[in-house]
Parts: sequence; C-alpha cells; structure tokens
Amino acid sequence: MQKPWLAQYPAGIPAEIDIHRFASLKDVLAASCARFGDLPAFNSMGTVMKFRQLDAASRAFAAWLQKVARLKRGDRVALMMPNLLQYPVALFGVVRAGMVVVNVNPLYTPRELEHQLNDSGAVAIVVLENFAHTVAQVIKSTPVRIVITTQVGDLLPPLKRILTNVVVKHVKKLVPPWQLAGAMEFNRVLAAGRTQSLDDVALTHDDLAFLQYTGGTTGVAKGAMLTHGNMVANVLQVGAWMSPNLHDGAETVVIPLPLYHVFALTGCLSFFSKGAQTVLIANPRDLPAFIKSLRQISFSAIIGVNTLFRALLDAPDSAKVDWSHLKLAVAGGMAVQHVVAHRWKQMTGVPLVEGYGLTESAPVAIANPVTIDEWSGQIGVPLPSTDAAMLDDDGKPVALGEVGEICLRGPQVMKGYWDRPAETANVFTADGWLRTGDMGLMDQLGNIRITDRKKDMIVVSGFKVFPNEIEDVLTMHPGVLEAAAIGVHDERSGEAVKVVVLRKDPALTESELLAHCKQHLTGYKIPRIVEFRSEPLPKTNIGKILRRELRDGRAAAPTGAPAVPAPANEA
Amino acid sequence: MLRAIDEADAPEIVQAFDRLTADSRYYRFMQHKRQLDPAALERGVHPRPGRDFAFVATIPAADGIDIVGAAQYVRANGSRRKSCEFAITVAEDWRGTGLASQLLASLVRRARRDGYRTMEGSVIADNAPMLALARKLGFSVHPVPEDATVVRVQRAL
Repeated sequence: MQKPWLAQYPAGIPAEIDIHRFASLKDVLAASCARFGDLPAFNSMGTVMKFRQLDAASRAFAAWLQKVARLKRGDRVALMMPNLLQYPVALFGVVRAGMVVVNVNPLYTPRELEHQLNDSGAVAIVVLENFAHTVAQVIKSTPVRIVITTQVGDLLPPLKRILTNVVVKHVKKLVPPWQLAGAMEFNRVLAAGRTQSLDDVALTHDDLAFLQYTGGTTGVAKGAMLTHGNMVANVLQVGAWMSPNLHDGAETVVIPLPLYHVFALTGCLSFFSKGAQTVLIANPRDLPAFIKSLRQISFSAIIGVNTLFRALLDAPDSAKVDWSHLKLAVAGGMAVQHVVAHRWKQMTGVPLVEGYGLTESAPVAIANPVTIDEWSGQIGVPLPSTDAAMLDDDGKPVALGEVGEICLRGPQVMKGYWDRPAETANVFTADGWLRTGDMGLMDQLGNIRITDRKKDMIVVSGFKVFPNEIEDVLTMHPGVLEAAAIGVHDERSGEAVKVVVLRKDPALTESELLAHCKQHLTGYKIPRIVEFRSEPLPKTNIGKILRRELRDGRAAAPTGAPAVPAPANEA
Repeated sequence: MLRAIDEADAPEIVQAFDRLTADSRYYRFMQHKRQLDPAALERGVHPRPGRDFAFVATIPAADGIDIVGAAQYVRANGSRRKSCEFAITVAEDWRGTGLASQLLASLVRRARRDGYRTMEGSVIADNAPMLALARKLGFSVHPVPEDATVVRVQRAL
C-alpha cells in the first residue's frame, strides 16, 4: 500500500517502529527504571517520585495483589481516582502482577460505575476515599470483592500527608461518609506487599493490559481490549513522533487531563518511556491552583484538549507562567478552534500540535509533525507503522481528495470489544480496517482533515457522549414521555448536550429533570439545554426520529444555563 | 413462517419488543425506546389495505412468543411518485439466518403489488448488516444532506 505521508515525516522518524523492543508494558517499566532510576518520574503537589521509588512501590503493590489478595493472572482491577502519585503505582502494580487495568472516571454516578464493574468483571478496585461512597452504593451487585482505599495525600512525605488528608477530609469536607466492610488502606497494602515476593509473569503482546471503556452508539459503554502489544506499539509510535522535540531523560511534562482518559494514559506512558518527569495535575478545573503549579516548575511539554487550552488562555495569571522552556503542546480529544490555536501560539510561542485517535486505537493514530511552526487545522498524517484510508460504505477506498470514513490499521488497533463479538464485527471492515465513525479526506501529501461525523455522538470537551444513553436516563423519569438528545455548538466545550422532551407530566420542570440527570449521569453528559415540546418529536411515517430537524432548532447556549459541563476534565 | 400481521398480534408484539436489546430498538426507531407507543402499535396492527402492510415472521416457541421478526411499509412522507417507507426488526437470536432477507424480499414483492413504484428507508449509518442486506436486495445507498449519521436506501419496485 502507498504511504504518501512518509515524505512529510521530519528527519529521523522511522516509517516503521520495532514493536518487538518490548514484550509488554512491564518491560517498558523495567527499561525506564533501569535507565532513569534516580530521575524524577512523577511529580504531584510538589512531591517527586523517582523512577526507582515507583519501581519499588509498584512491585510491592503487585506482590500484594498476587500473594495477599490472591488474584489471578488476567483478573480485572479497577482504578478510580484523579491524577495522584497512587495512580502510576497502582497501574504499574496491576500490570506487573499480570492483571488487567480497568480505568474508571471517579465522578461516575452509581449507575455508570455499576455497569462498568459488571461488564468488565472487575474483582478489585482501588478508589480515592472521596469517591468511596459511590462504590459502597453498588458493590453488592458487582463482582468486586477487594477494595483498596486511598487518601489524597497518601504518598506525600509524612507531615504533608497528614496535613493534606486532614484538610481534604475535615476542612474542605470532600469525603462523603462511606462504609465498605473489609476495605484495605493503600499504604497498608504497600507495607504488606514489601514483605512478599513477586512472581514474574511472562507477558506477551497478546495479553490484555487494559479494558478501556468507551460509549457506544446504542447506549451501552463497551470495554476496548487494549493488549500489551497495542500499548507497547503506541508508546513507541508516540515516543518516536515526539523525538525531534523531546530528549530522553531531560524533559518535564504537564498532564492535566485525567489518566483514566486514554489520551492522557498513553501520553503519560510515552513520556515515561522517555524518562521524562510527569507533573500530575489532579484538578485542572481549579484554575488558580493549576496556574500556581505551573508557576512553580519549569516544563517543556503539555498535553490537553481545546477546552483546557482555552481556559488557560482566559485565566488571569496565565501570562505570568514561564512558557519559555515549552517545546511541545499536544492537543487531542476534540477539534481545536482557530482562535484558541492562534492565541496559544501568541502567548507561548509554541504551536498546538493536533493529533487524532480513539480509544479503540490506544489512541494515537494520526498526528501533525511536532516540528510544525503553526497549527495546521488538519489532524495530520498517520504515525509510523500505521495505515489510514478513507473508505466508502462498502469498505472500498474513495478517490484521493474525496470524503470517506477514516479507517485505521496498525499494531495499536484493539483486539475487539470485551465480550461483544457482534459489535466487534461491526467496527471492523472485511479487510480488517477499524472504522472510526469520523468522515474525512486525505490530500496528495497524505494530510488528513475531518469533515463530518458518521457516529451519532456528541463530543463535550473531549469526552464522548452518546444520545441513546442520555435518552435512556431521561425516559427513566416517570414524567417524560419521549426524549431525544442532540449536540449543539458551544464556544467553550466545542459541543454541548441539548435535549428535546415531550412530557407525560406537564408539571415537570427543567430543574427537576436536571436533578434526575445528575443522579444518573456524570457531569459532562448532563444536558446544557432543555427544550420542552408540546407535540411528539418529528418522525418519518414509519416512526424513525428525524434528528436533523431537531438540530435545526436554536443552536446557541443561553447564558446562565445550568449544569455547565466540566472544562476538559471531570476530576 | 411469514404471514400478514393481525390485530390479535398486538400483545405478542409488545412482548417481543420487550425482549429486544436497546441496540435493536435504537436501530429501528433511531432513538431510545423504553416501550412501544400504544397509538403507533394500534396503527401497526391495522394496516390500511392497499396503502400499508406488515409481515410477521413466526417460529413456534415453548413460551408462546412466536414472533421473531416483523417488516412493514407505509406510504412515505409527501410522496408524489408512490413511494413507501419500510422498516425491519429481527429478534437477536434469529440474526444471520436469512430471515431479514426473506422479510425484505417479501415486502418488496407485496409493495409492488400494492402499486408502489419505489421503496425507501432510513438506516443508521453504522448499521453495517442492514446496509449490506439492502444492497443485496438491489437498494442504492444515498447520503442524507446535513446528517452523516443516517443514510437513505432506495430501490425501484
């Protein structure tokens, strides 16, 4: 197959990566720890964890899972926390023990959490105490039997730890009461694990590393099976792609996106493999604190989504941040707005480098070269060892420059959806291409541009929302007869959820309906606009809803609308 | 076995609907459906002769729920050229058995006899099995202006 885009690669970037360099993420960890042992690996709230320390802590965590919890190879372990030092410790611990990580959005409602735990069959969960009450509400109806709880400050130095935990719990009162019989504390797990031996598990490319959940058109979240092979491939692909700008063992990278999101996850692992120090931002919605963190460090790279870059640009003190060491700013998850790209370059001197991918491709498949001078307005070219093609409905390539569905092939493309053979079959073409659900076109140089979306979905600040799930929750309310969710343009979040509702109970109010949504949907899924109608929603004669006609209604968000979705991050 | 729908089928249609997965319902109605709209059901089991038609596919089952699929057409919106709109639903357990193909082929023949000149339908763009079936039975696939999430399939009768 022709790869016209290879001519666009900056010097030194290979056409193919050697995925056999590492058999698994465990080997990536071992190589980084051996090579960069005394360098800082992670930095959270001003506290540094060196590669060597991460190696020891994740080893203890893994040994505990194997020997004390007696979990087996391939068991699923859920991680439910924001970006804290505990995250990489638990993540690498699960991987080293030969088990499978299930990343969970900590702000999930009980309904969402219960589905994910049951669907993945998770037998254990590591949860930040602040969210333990959600686990407590559903645990009895899930297969989870081991719970490890952690407090925000658990891996900070002793005095800071006590102070942080007291402030979070008793001053800021961020920990709703919870009760989980037999729950273990994170630090006790580490202490107990240090006295246990870790059995080496021989992992190969075919072993599962993550069940990474993503919504589905038909409403139910599905677990993308990302193998060690997929993850190793994407870590190497992204690592190679960044190499013109970033040097091994010499960079500091800011990660304000939550690690449970695949973009931050693989980004973080790639930086880790290059010996970078990763600065974890637990709550980027607290902009003053976020800016304060940025002012305390000297950093050379940052990843984010348009909404986050926009929020940073609008923050009063952002000009006081020292941007002079910045060499790379990567944007993904949602379309970048021209004005944001322009202002970002003006403020920092560095262009936004846009990339593209999806959970099913671990995620990065297409990106702009990191050497560009200006934001390109395109998603870029396929990464090394990656093929992209624009295909028609029959799975045949369209002519160059014509619009087709963007389809992907490469070592980073998932094995399939966990326990869903029909949906797996549907997402791949007969020739094994992954259908992305995005429409786009490729020019003669191999540059790809997105033109439209085939998948019925709403992207809110980089998070995917599927109308069917919202409609399911709305129609759970006894006062709702019929409902449809659609995406509308939003200046800040890119798109926002609008719902059109026909009531059964004419007395049902917008605030009652939104309160119901908050019980069952995490923040970014909650409707921004509610429109009540007095007629049935428009349909064809045979009863299929006409979403296009619903979209034709008002498009702009009213000011002061309730339930504003999170900027970029739900944590 | 395929036969014309009958008003006595209504209760069993409700039961068969309850068994469908959320996915199947979404593909049929293009929105989340918790239950069938009673008025639509009433219309569905009383097709107007010469204008609407519905087949049900039945296979005797131990629990008495024999209906495993249904296909119908109604006069299309604002149709001057005598066009009808169709929809098909097949229970999950009977996918891939050729039942949908049989239903659609029968529907095409019946609509022709009713004097329709074209048959059309809306399909969710990522419903690959339905699009493959439509193509197999001679339908052409067309984009819907300003909505990439849905496509229109159409054939002359």
